[in-house]
Amino acid sequence: MKAQFSLLFASLALFAAGVLATSSEAVAEPKPTQAKALNFNRDVKPILSENCFKCHGPDAAVVAGNLRLDKFESATKDRNGRKVIWPGKPDQSRIFKRIAAHDEAMLMPPTDSGLKRLTDQQIATLKQWIANGAVYEEHWSLVPPVLPVVPHVSNYRWGTNLIDRFVMARFEKEGLKPEPEADKATLIRRATLTLTGLPPTTAEIAAFDADKTAGAYERLVDRLLASSGYGENQARFWLDAIRYGDTHGLHLDNERNIYPYRDWLVRNLNNDLPFSDFAVWQLAGDLLPNPTTEQLIATGYVRMNPTTSEGGAIEAEFLAKNTFDRVDTTSTVFLGMTVGCARCHDHKYDPITQKDYYRMFAFFNSTADAVLDGNALLPPPVLRASTPGEERRLQKFDTDLAGLRSKVTASEALAWLNAAEVVPVTASKWEVSPVYTVANFDLAYATAFAPEKAGEPVEWKAYDLVIDKVATPVQGKLNSAAYVRGVITSAKSQELLIRVASDDGIKIWLNDKVVHDNKVLRGVGPLDTVKLSLNAGENRVLFKIVNSGGGDGFLLKLSDESKERIGNFQKLWRDGKPEEKKPDDLAALYLELGPEAPAATEYRKLRQERGAFEGTIPMTLVAQEMAKPRDAFLLKRGEYDLPADKVERAIPMTLGSMGKGDPTNRLGLAKWFVSERNPLVSRVFVNRIWQQHFGTGLVKTAEDFGSQGEFPVNQALLDHLAVTFRQNGWSIKKLHRAIVTSSTFKQQASADTAKITKDPENRFLARGPRFRLDAEVIRDASLAASGLLNREMGGKGFKPYQPDGLWEAIAFSESTTARYVRDRGPSIYKRSLYMFIKRTAPHPVMQSFDQPMRETCIVRRSRTNTPMQALVTLNEPMFIESSRVLAEKLIFESTSDAERMSRLYMLTLGRMPNDQERAVLMASLKRYRDGYHMDIKAARELVEIGDSVRDESIPLHEHAAWTLLCNTITNTDEFLTQH
Amino acid sequence: MDPIREAELVMTRRQLFGNAALGVGTAALNRLLGGSLVGGLASFAGASGGDLPKGLPGLPHFKPKAKSVIYLFMNGGPSQMDLWDYKPKMEAKYDEELPPEIRMGQRITTMTSGQTRFPVAPSRYKFNKHDNNDEGVWVSELLPHTATVVKDLCVIKSMWTEAINHDPAVTFIQTGSQLPGRPSMGSWVSYGLGNENENLPTYVVLHSKVSSGKVDQALFSRLWGTGFLPSEHQGVALRSAGDPVLYLRDPDGVDRKTRRRMLDDISSLNEMQLNHFGDPEINARIQQYEMAYKLQTSVPDLMDIGKEPEEVFTLYGDEARNPGSFAANCLLARRLVERGVRYIQIFHRGWDQHGNLTGDLPSQCKDVDQACAGLIKDLKRTGLLDETLVVWGGEFGRTVYCQGALSRENYGRDHHPRCYTMWMAGGGVKPGIVYGQTDDYSYNIVDKVGNVIKPSVEQLTPGAVHIHDLNATILNQLGVDHKKLTYRYQGRDFRLTDVDGHVVKDLLA
Repeated sequence: MKAQFSLLFASLALFAAGVLATSSEAVAEPKPTQAKALNFNRDVKPILSENCFKCHGPDAAVVAGNLRLDKFESATKDRNGRKVIWPGKPDQSRIFKRIAAHDEAMLMPPTDSGLKRLTDQQIATLKQWIANGAVYEEHWSLVPPVLPVVPHVSNYRWGTNLIDRFVMARFEKEGLKPEPEADKATLIRRATLTLTGLPPTTAEIAAFDADKTAGAYERLVDRLLASSGYGENQARFWLDAIRYGDTHGLHLDNERNIYPYRDWLVRNLNNDLPFSDFAVWQLAGDLLPNPTTEQLIATGYVRMNPTTSEGGAIEAEFLAKNTFDRVDTTSTVFLGMTVGCARCHDHKYDPITQKDYYRMFAFFNSTADAVLDGNALLPPPVLRASTPGEERRLQKFDTDLAGLRSKVTASEALAWLNAAEVVPVTASKWEVSPVYTVANFDLAYATAFAPEKAGEPVEWKAYDLVIDKVATPVQGKLNSAAYVRGVITSAKSQELLIRVASDDGIKIWLNDKVVHDNKVLRGVGPLDTVKLSLNAGENRVLFKIVNSGGGDGFLLKLSDESKERIGNFQKLWRDGKPEEKKPDDLAALYLELGPEAPAATEYRKLRQERGAFEGTIPMTLVAQEMAKPRDAFLLKRGEYDLPADKVERAIPMTLGSMGKGDPTNRLGLAKWFVSERNPLVSRVFVNRIWQQHFGTGLVKTAEDFGSQGEFPVNQALLDHLAVTFRQNGWSIKKLHRAIVTSSTFKQQASADTAKITKDPENRFLARGPRFRLDAEVIRDASLAASGLLNREMGGKGFKPYQPDGLWEAIAFSESTTARYVRDRGPSIYKRSLYMFIKRTAPHPVMQSFDQPMRETCIVRRSRTNTPMQALVTLNEPMFIESSRVLAEKLIFESTSDAERMSRLYMLTLGRMPNDQERAVLMASLKRYRDGYHMDIKAARELVEIGDSVRDESIPLHEHAAWTLLCNTITNTDEFLTQH
Repeated sequence: MDPIREAELVMTRRQLFGNAALGVGTAALNRLLGGSLVGGLASFAGASGGDLPKGLPGLPHFKPKAKSVIYLFMNGGPSQMDLWDYKPKMEAKYDEELPPEIRMGQRITTMTSGQTRFPVAPSRYKFNKHDNNDEGVWVSELLPHTATVVKDLCVIKSMWTEAINHDPAVTFIQTGSQLPGRPSMGSWVSYGLGNENENLPTYVVLHSKVSSGKVDQALFSRLWGTGFLPSEHQGVALRSAGDPVLYLRDPDGVDRKTRRRMLDDISSLNEMQLNHFGDPEINARIQQYEMAYKLQTSVPDLMDIGKEPEEVFTLYGDEARNPGSFAANCLLARRLVERGVRYIQIFHRGWDQHGNLTGDLPSQCKDVDQACAGLIKDLKRTGLLDETLVVWGGEFGRTVYCQGALSRENYGRDHHPRCYTMWMAGGGVKPGIVYGQTDDYSYNIVDKVGNVIKPSVEQLTPGAVHIHDLNATILNQLGVDHKKLTYRYQGRDFRLTDVDGHVVKDLLA
């Protein structure tokens, strides 16, 4: 309690000093006491922004008294010989009459604004600034970074790379000294956790310890950067930012298949795809010339926003909402600016107008995906997401197939084609019934309405059903059915394969017999193949289409694919133009459908293999631009039904302009993001990487680089990183390497109370980083220590243990994610990155440790410390199972208690226990062992938790006692913390 | 106008600040404390040892009328004209077209926008007038028990919302925004006020079984989520099956004595670390583990209704013995309030009667009616009603016109955001009144003489209560100025009521 009290006291002292009034986020930075040169952005602007801009700032609609304090011209305007701000003349600047007024009616900010009176210190700062000429500088983050001069420091011996020089410069200003380098055991654990999200293995620790040569640590870092775990760990930060989930996120919250995007991400982070390509592919891969599959999978980024298909939803409303989400996410992820404020009015603090917002909006409102997702697993456009390796294999198949085709003799194929017989059928006399509506879908499907009952009168109406085109006989009515009937005439009796698609369910009768019955909720897409045994002459066919909600649809194809193709070829070769009659196509048809022959058999086998292989490759959602973009309008108050002026695509005025010659679409936007002229993108990204390694960014408000955000604690360092990142070819790995190999990062995390009190959040970095590990890392580290971790990469989201009833308690009963059925087998031990994410019901283990819900963009997680977390790591079955399997490993691999204890520490904490720790644990071990010896049943209960099979040769009491010891260690602060 | 001239004239700018969302200093201080020192203490106040502020400094902003809120949420949109909003004139309009001068071209969902007709469906239920403290209140025969407590209810017939579909509407009423990402009301309360009981969560969520088994509208974790607030403020679900709080129970084969010993060891090992690193987070972790241990006894004690006297079950009905029923949850809510829990959110689903309304609505009402009345009576009996605000209602109302097939016996109703009924009780609201009126079609909000009111979200519209107004009023009863409970995120000071919301003083005692 003592440490807490003194800290609290220090914080309150800061509070009293009025630091808070500048910016709430800046509180943590202790103010240096000595006088220093004023910096407009750091010292002056926060005072004006916090206290004045709401009414005297960029929002044109509310500018009070025609005075803007964010603009020199307005602030210093001559107003009948007087000026609010008179550069060089603080005594004549009227602003002080207001901010220092004693009369409440005169006081600024007004008392009813909720803002406090400015402190003397703030007023003094403003006076000094005006005395110096009241120079306005552009907001720091809007000026493109230039490579800063490396500062001169007296302690130039300290440090490994340039990062350290910038950090040391700050130390010297603050009178701080660095901590010594952490010991090797700490270093390997810290580097491995921060780069791969996994603890080091004992072999890795031993190897690092044994390597006494120069550069051992750098080699360690290079090894980690080259390991597959690197991409897996990096991916999760990006997935938070772009709100990745395995469900649509709204209303029904059905499953959505976009995990190939997640695997693309891991793969390309591991390949160190330059950030410039990384950004362009995701934002606009579809707009690149001849995009590769990799570039297209990347556009899943654009499709990642939560979507809905709630019955009754108005399309225009959700077009606006979906687009808002894309704009807000993109601006936060890349620009670190929340333009969302400008959705309803000009931004209050930053120079972003409402019109700017809708110009950005115009980039994202014209993708070809339907606004409402149809609750489909794969709402188009979708793509088969083959990896480069898979693509090579498919190409090999294609080459082999082409080889076989080239050997077909054209005359032989043509002779076969001309002789092939297709019995023609015709369809006619289409009619449609009235729509029958009942209480729910089940009833609508089950009820036999008049058309399916013989002799009941039905008001049939003539219907213009066009084969191969979608019809909507139910007219979009909820919980309703409609019938379509017609006559199929066949020249002779034959078995005809027809194909139908429907939204939603469909039932088919041929000559009054049910031939197809598919009660399903779906959009028009997948084709059901139905065999019709046609009589010669006329056959009656009846279709029942049942709709649950939203639109309905029915599509009929009156042939099977083979016959259709043969028919088409015959027609083509009869009537087509010569250039359309491609011999290769005919060869393919001949080999596929022609007479049996060795080449044909080979061809069909290869095709089947290719198909089967291709079938194992998952589909994924991709972006595609509409042929003709939608118009975009400024929406008054952000309401979709209040469009005002039409707007054209453009970046916010204050940020300059897009590249000349670049297209005015997502591609041009992406190229501008990664151009040298962009002041924000590289700073925002390097800041987030810094945040990963140190727990806090150089700009603490990683999501806001605007006026209300924090001024960087070390801008020179931030700019150094931002510029070198670009100069190093946007290599993300090089960026990590520079940070992780710096002496700043390698300092020990402990420090004396005085230092901690001076800088509780370690913003000056005069000690090593120390913070609680993220949800995924805690789970993965626990599995890794025991050896249970399954390192298989990628694939569909897995479903681990989860308490019963969590999904069921909230889900829509017809949702594809209404019921949680956990996986069995090795998949449940995969890395947490691959866990299935249902956006409306996150996994409780992950949620307890602050994994975001993935409904909105999050670039800075909260990091809480709660009793719920303790309950998870103490009681959740997977954590118990990990402890139990770890205990088994200790018991098998070592013989004495002392050895096992050492091994336990090495496997979990990467170090040896000290005597004090040994004493604590040995005493408990004896107690547990004795206790379980007396109660073997309890021991069995404990060690049978979890799916993995226990080795029965281990005595139960021994196993149970060690299980508790393992679980004790994995609940220590040290295990849960990066330090 | 020249600002200097303006100053000389001392013009008022107060209207400019009507929507000021400030109070940053306190929020920032708490974040400073919360971030580095007190960790999860906001939702479990006692873990610090009790000498640190509970909730934010400066809160409550003024003396609260209510210490706790019990929010009875009827998910799906209960039909106001079949339960509360008595429209006898509709009887004669059966199957007549909804007049265009009533609809006034307002948008409707795409579930019925394609209908060629909008025939009036009068309620088939009888209404009876019950004495309250004013002119009496008409209550449907479907709510016979609730009708017995109307002297305690403040019935609002003129609620309105902007959303027309479930997901946006329920997200709106719970978080103040139709889009995901904002904190729920309970998490704002937890963040602002902290806890009264160190051994239980501040914000508890209870899901209720629906006896018809028809639950075709979903809930979402975001409805009790924290949005951008620190995640310890999220609602903790108390479950009727399995562990009442997730992972509460010690693993099989671990008894309390063993658990205690483990925790002591963890604590000793952590203290060694604390001595080494001096990081106050370690101290916080030690306390959180102690807190977890206490929860393991306080929660089972809370859930054990075995010692409740028989008369309690007469109040709530025997259904209260059935864990997870709405009645059992209401009883639990009273026990939570007794223990100082701030915010209790009970969900009951299945109120989305697009069709077969008369088949489904009676069963829905039967699930909740007696328990609602029982809760009010029980709170009153135990003297807790004065300091507990009870709120009942859904995310929107339903249309007077029929969706699907219409008969005298059965009909369906689409979503209707323009007016609907909710009620509040206790916690300093006026007991026994009816606030607001609707036209004969329960379609538009009208004034006392029947003229249509066009309510505004920006200004307080007497006679109409917007979602933001309701939320501002609920916070007000807890001693919170909804404009001052803010959190800075992405450079903006966010609040529950966005940029609107007005305390509806007419509802307050």
